[in-house]
Amino acid sequence: MPDATKVWIVIPAFNEARTIGDVVAPLCARGWRVVVVDDGSRDATGDAARAAGAVVLRHAINLGQGAGLRTGFAFIQRQHNAERVVTYDADGQHQPEAVAALLDVLARSGADVALGSRFLDGAARTAVPAARRALLRLATVFTRLTTGLRVTDAHNGLRAFTVKAAAQLHLSHNRMAHASEILSEIARLNLRYAEAPVTIRYTDYSMAKGQRPLDAIAILWDIFTAGLR
Amino acid sequence: MLRSQILLIALLAALALYLFRLRTTPRDRLLYVVMVGVGVPLVLFPDASNVVAHTVGIGRGADLVFYLFIIFSLFHFATSASRIRQLERQLTQLVQDRALAAPDQPRDQGTSSA
Repeated sequence: MPDATKVWIVIPAFNEARTIGDVVAPLCARGWRVVVVDDGSRDATGDAARAAGAVVLRHAINLGQGAGLRTGFAFIQRQHNAERVVTYDADGQHQPEAVAALLDVLARSGADVALGSRFLDGAARTAVPAARRALLRLATVFTRLTTGLRVTDAHNGLRAFTVKAAAQLHLSHNRMAHASEILSEIARLNLRYAEAPVTIRYTDYSMAKGQRPLDAIAILWDIFTAGLR
Repeated sequence: MLRSQILLIALLAALALYLFRLRTTPRDRLLYVVMVGVGVPLVLFPDASNVVAHTVGIGRGADLVFYLFIIFSLFHFATSASRIRQLERQLTQLVQDRALAAPDQPRDQGTSSA
């Protein structure tokens, strides 16, 4: 496994001043490098992230989580020592241990990508609220049908890439459809992938910040109209 | 002339005037001229649309006008959507380039020794 300073964690954040410091600090404490993409927040998200030890990239206007990830990826590609790229959510639902688990799976499997899964054996299944689980099941079936990837979780924000693999991804969706797009890119590029069990901490805060079932329709719309250029 | 005809022609004229005041491309202006050029005679001689409709096998002139309206609307929707996407891509690129040009290093540099 590469040493911690060669691991870069990218966290897109929009109006997360309340939680971002607590999200960034424990990651920095483990020696990982963190880049927070402040996606046009109207609160002090950027300053809080910086104070907690992250490099901050500021979008002048809100573009969406997908665009935030792309900006973070582009930044990390310019860091000469970077070897791993991890995507992480800003709302506090992920835990640093999960990053360690992903990096471990990535190193042991020799894969290009390690994907966090809430539904793999070993993950605490009960942690996912029932309505959310049903929707995620649907998304997973959709992903399996459209990409052929045998994944167990389609919309998990926790992923680890080798820098080389991340550089090959061609992402264009600015908003939430990027999660599906990342998977279809993995399929297109024939990247080797592995899954790692992760437990998500659903708090009232993260549920309120997270996606609503109706967003699934918006995501599908984005995917199907992508050809309309 | 019927009052409805006066009203419709006045509306068309107002629309044409308004569209011309926008800074539009010559191509768009031509389209407006054609629209008004076809619209005004149709308002004055509604039966003309019936004649045209019958020659293509449509029962009523109003139906023909309505079908054309739907087709033009769809065309307009498609071109607008593609234009918006293009603008969105350009805007995204601009915002991302700006963000990457000025990264804010962490306040406490001591902890990050590479």
